[in-house]
Amino acid sequence: MEPKNVSLEMRDYIAEMGAETINWCMQCGLCTNLCPWRLVPGETSDGFNIRHMQRLGQMGMEGFEEETILFACSTCSMCQSNCPRGVKIVDNVRGMRASIVGGGMAPAHLRPILGSAHANGNPWAGPREKRTVWQEGLDIPQFGPETEYFLFVCCHSCYDPRSTKIARSIAALLRHAGVSFGVIGAEESCCGESMRKMGDEELFLKLAESNIELYNGKGVQKIITTSPHCLWTFKNEYPELGGEWEVIHYTALLSQLQEEGKLPLAKSLAKKTAFHDPCYLGRHSEIYDAPRQLLSSALQADPVELGRARELSLCCAGGGGRIWAEVPMGERFGELRIKDALNVGAEVLATSCPYCLNMLTDACKSLDQQDSLEILELSEILAGALEEGQ
Amino acid sequence: MEKKTGVYICTGCGIGDALESAALTKVATGEYKVPVCKEHPFLCSAEGAALIRTDLEEAGVNTIVIAACSPRVMTDVFDFGADTVMERVNLREQVVWSHPANDEDTQMLAEDQLRMGLVKARDAEPPEPFMAEDLSKRVLVVGGGLAGMTSANEAAKAGYEVVLVENSDRLGGYLKDVYKLPPSQPPYEELQESNLEALTQEVNNQPAIKTYLGVQIEAISGAPCMFDVRIRQNGQEAAERVGAIVLASGSVPYDPNKLLDLGYGKVPDVVTAAQLEAMFTTGKVTRPSNGQPVKSVAFILCAGSRDPQHLPYCSAACCVESLKQAKYFKETDGGMPVYVFYKDIRASGNYELFYKQLQKDGVFFVRGAVTAIEDDGSGGLTVLADDELTRSPIMSESVDLVVLATGMVPTTAFGEAFKAQAPKEGDEESVVPSDTILVSNILNLQYRQGPEMPALQYGFPDSHFICFPYESRRTGIYAAGSVRAPMDYARCTEDGAGAALKAIQCVEMVAQGRAVHPRVGDQTYPEFFMQRCTQCKRCTEECPFGAINEDEKANPLPNPTRCRRCGVCMGACPERIISFKNYSVAMVGNMIKGINVPEEDEEKPRLLVLTCENDAYPALDLAGIRRLTYNPWVRFIQVRCLGSMNLVWIADALSKGIDGILLLGCKHGDEYQCHFIKGSELANIRMTKVQETLNRLVLESDRVRLEQLSIADYERLPEILDGFADRVQELGPNPYKGY
Repeated sequence: MEPKNVSLEMRDYIAEMGAETINWCMQCGLCTNLCPWRLVPGETSDGFNIRHMQRLGQMGMEGFEEETILFACSTCSMCQSNCPRGVKIVDNVRGMRASIVGGGMAPAHLRPILGSAHANGNPWAGPREKRTVWQEGLDIPQFGPETEYFLFVCCHSCYDPRSTKIARSIAALLRHAGVSFGVIGAEESCCGESMRKMGDEELFLKLAESNIELYNGKGVQKIITTSPHCLWTFKNEYPELGGEWEVIHYTALLSQLQEEGKLPLAKSLAKKTAFHDPCYLGRHSEIYDAPRQLLSSALQADPVELGRARELSLCCAGGGGRIWAEVPMGERFGELRIKDALNVGAEVLATSCPYCLNMLTDACKSLDQQDSLEILELSEILAGALEEGQ
Repeated sequence: MEKKTGVYICTGCGIGDALESAALTKVATGEYKVPVCKEHPFLCSAEGAALIRTDLEEAGVNTIVIAACSPRVMTDVFDFGADTVMERVNLREQVVWSHPANDEDTQMLAEDQLRMGLVKARDAEPPEPFMAEDLSKRVLVVGGGLAGMTSANEAAKAGYEVVLVENSDRLGGYLKDVYKLPPSQPPYEELQESNLEALTQEVNNQPAIKTYLGVQIEAISGAPCMFDVRIRQNGQEAAERVGAIVLASGSVPYDPNKLLDLGYGKVPDVVTAAQLEAMFTTGKVTRPSNGQPVKSVAFILCAGSRDPQHLPYCSAACCVESLKQAKYFKETDGGMPVYVFYKDIRASGNYELFYKQLQKDGVFFVRGAVTAIEDDGSGGLTVLADDELTRSPIMSESVDLVVLATGMVPTTAFGEAFKAQAPKEGDEESVVPSDTILVSNILNLQYRQGPEMPALQYGFPDSHFICFPYESRRTGIYAAGSVRAPMDYARCTEDGAGAALKAIQCVEMVAQGRAVHPRVGDQTYPEFFMQRCTQCKRCTEECPFGAINEDEKANPLPNPTRCRRCGVCMGACPERIISFKNYSVAMVGNMIKGINVPEEDEEKPRLLVLTCENDAYPALDLAGIRRLTYNPWVRFIQVRCLGSMNLVWIADALSKGIDGILLLGCKHGDEYQCHFIKGSELANIRMTKVQETLNRLVLESDRVRLEQLSIADYERLPEILDGFADRVQELGPNPYKGY
């Protein structure tokens, strides 16, 4: 075998593109063994080994740029949150992707997504003016100088018909609890979280700068996000670009309101319900109790826990741009998650992330289990439990 | 001394419920005519001990037999001073706890154990400790490096005079050539300045330390507390008397000329870690080939280490030393390409943080074997290796310098092997493998077995490192630092202090006429009845500690303060002229003769079990504590070491009609666990000879068996003892029974 060349220049370039901790890795391999890809068969599983990929990165050696390897990671952070060396593995993946995508070599299936985000400010090929369609008939207030919270609705829940129910439910709940909130509307752009994870630094910067300019111009101080992905990027990536706001996920805000007695709910849902922790709400943002507390208050019986829950939750496979990947049946993490739910006898699987809702709904259908298991977003259950007349 | 014996039988802890104590009393007062014999239900109580004490003080009793629990317990309660001969008969752990109560066979076992105790008490004498003449408690420290200086400082601080000898003209050893040190304090990420100056200052400021520089030890004669050291300095000779010795002569790097595969000697820009260190201390870090500054570097770890072709072991410190040298470059230029090729990074403890820092600094760590170092055509070198982490061969970018991290070779690993004397024609070739002693010209001991310390492995003069750190095979001489085992600065410091403590223990014990490890405090020592000596040399050759010298007529010249009291010499002596006051060939022979052997038709075989006091005997106690049961035909005699077994005991036992003899001792061989190094191995060799003799006498050799066990193997004992009993039963009764 011809020896591969080590390249300091390449290593340093990858590090500069975001893989700042690539050198910290001591190659113990815990990451690879914790990776959800080990739980499924198939070509990607065979080809993708996060330890190996990082090794190539830290040696500046070629071989990582192959699409099935470089774009396999769903950035679930199972590895990162357990890394004994504190390596920022997700950033390393992002940096390595950026070193390729930055050179104009984005994989074919992601180009239309990135293109739409460029052109329309959302990755779903939806026209900008259609961003507010979900509000129809709800009379959602506009954000103004007197409004406390800016409600930022994830693009997914603006354009995906199933997902719009999340935005509508959250708005109803906020209104019910008497929260002062408003939306900006068509000028809003995608938060860019997934774009950056896919390695498109330039696009992310463009989206972020446009949002920051817009929100700051409107005098935004506090933001409610519907998706944990938007939450994460606003909290962790925007501040250094000038977007410094108090950002809260809707579950955290609602659970506070509930504790204050402002959100009385009826224990209306009789079905056996389990909660799936979204990676970006759980491991990335360490919010585990708020959604459980909310869910409990809407259920007649206590919620059931999945076998792998909280810090050990299994990824739905929708993060890191994977929501746009074509994955053969039998290789989808979501299918394992449906089985987890069926194993504990759940009739409803609740989550609190639009990507999870999307991925789990697909997986449930591909396993033909839609009659046994219903996939719901937490906000939908809560909205259904609002006591009438309050 | 007229003996008056008192026997005290405890009936507590279930002994009285399981045995007929009146019958035991009858053995003592009837068979052995003991004038005083008392029972007590709780002998280890204040009242019980007072009973004995009163008899000692008022009834004229001066020899006591305590038939109660194991001699390993209640040692503080049953301590009546060295002048009182005391024998303890283990009725609890080895009789009633491991055999059925109120059973004929259990009772017979108890009575025989008592008989043997009575015989031993009858034959033993109180010890008369050996007192050294003109004794010295000074400590000689050989080698003025980190371990040696630490040892000297620690001994001086503890109040002992120290003679420190150093071969070179300056203190410091390895530290003299060190530019900086790896981190030893938080956050463990930065290099530290060398502390040599402060350390040297401390030695020089100690009035109790007498330092000789630029010297060679001509000879060391004598024994602990009486070592006479001849030191040669500038053609002059000085003499010092010392009590104990710390050997801290350190190590040297492995010879890089043997590493041709890595380009040493062929490629000028391939240097050793020591050469690179010298570049930094002199401030001239340049490429040997052209004198240009070094702009990139590759370190190759385990250069000749953990390699059966070179040094099979790990040198423990080179990983961190190489990390340190990598840091030299990163401190100079953070962007400089630095490669480290390794097998495993062994940066344990807080050094892990230093390793992590170097990873953060961007050092390329490559795990895998280096396959080639090639000239890249532009004057630089490329290193090719099999990277285990990508499972592919890789090639470094061009580097200016390749540094080989060579391992440590102890200074004791050089020189020809010592051969005491070639056997004269007609002499029986010794079957006992002798220790490896290399004539390395460090201590020049005037010992019959050789002038330096025996090596355990790879030339390191260690003893048994798992059980006994700092111990060596030469009493009063303790190795410390990298001469003992490969180690880093921190461990050298610890080692220096540890060895100083051992040296102090030694001089203090010897000054009281007591033994050091492992029979700590023992006041007996072997005495030689020289009139009957046949100059066969077995004792001088077999002593595991080289304690016995020889005169020109081959008479043994014992050195009691070198002795560990194992009794190997006693076991070796064919004339049976070597005895301790409370342990001798005749004494054990009489104990064996004291066993009551039933007639053949009673179908009660008897098995003599000689148990090593270090592991086998406590294992038997543990079996009792766990209430494991085994065959009651066994009769136990505790021996100091299986190596003290004299073959005449086997003959005594067989002629007495005993049907089988089992030797329970420690593991021997490369991974030996014998507290006296070679005792169980010697017992094994001797037993082989016995078996030959048995076959000649048409007695089955299976009647004698040796089993190796460690203290943790107590669970195996029922199987071992019952298995042996079964085998002896198959063989049938000893035909000599009744003769």
